[in-house]
Amino acid sequence: MTSLPARSEVLSLFRSLLRTSREFSDYNMRKYVKRRTIDAFRHNRNLSDPAAVAAAFADGKSQLGMAKRQAVLYSFYAPRAKNVMEINRP
Amino acid sequence: MASIATSSVFFPVSSSLKQNQVSNLKMVSLSFTGKNFRSLRLQPSRFRVACAAKPETVEKVCEIVRKQLALPADSAVTGESKFASLGADSLDTVEIVMGLEEEFGISVEEESAQTITTVQEAADMIENLKAKKA
Repeated sequence: MTSLPARSEVLSLFRSLLRTSREFSDYNMRKYVKRRTIDAFRHNRNLSDPAAVAAAFADGKSQLGMAKRQAVLYSFYAPRAKNVMEINRP
Repeated sequence: MASIATSSVFFPVSSSLKQNQVSNLKMVSLSFTGKNFRSLRLQPSRFRVACAAKPETVEKVCEIVRKQLALPADSAVTGESKFASLGADSLDTVEIVMGLEEEFGISVEEESAQTITTVQEAADMIENLKAKKA
């Protein structure tokens, strides 16, 4: 199976996931999606087996689709006030 | 600014300005675009981006790079430092570009983001995007 993703595709997926994390209206989801994508990509950095790489890439793409849908759903129930972690106390 | 405007009126006298063969209208419009006027003058002699990034922009970029790569505060990060030489891999570079996007409120496209390798390039790109947005 020559579905091995190119380096640029992997980086593009990484960037898309980080961009999607910014669209969440909920502070917790924003931080979680960002943290999880960074952890997952770093964990899978040194994969060498092409099948494993292709599987991880496909998994990442499906996660990206889910994150995008969830961002839309979360926006329906956006909190009215800012999360306490985001308030800059002078 | 006023002196430039008056020199454009006396058309034959404007020999000091390089674009003196150009019609008067163009000269008048150039005098209004304060910053860009100087760069257009220099274009015949050398082709170069006229406005380099401001030092505080470079400093902010260095700060974000330091934070991302967990470097100590006194480490040598200058405009010429390449991300790879500071110990960043491609994932780190993507995270740095994301951090810059958030810090400066800009949006970087895919191709531009892949080609950034040094701090100076990042700062220049930030300046360009901010100027285009404004």
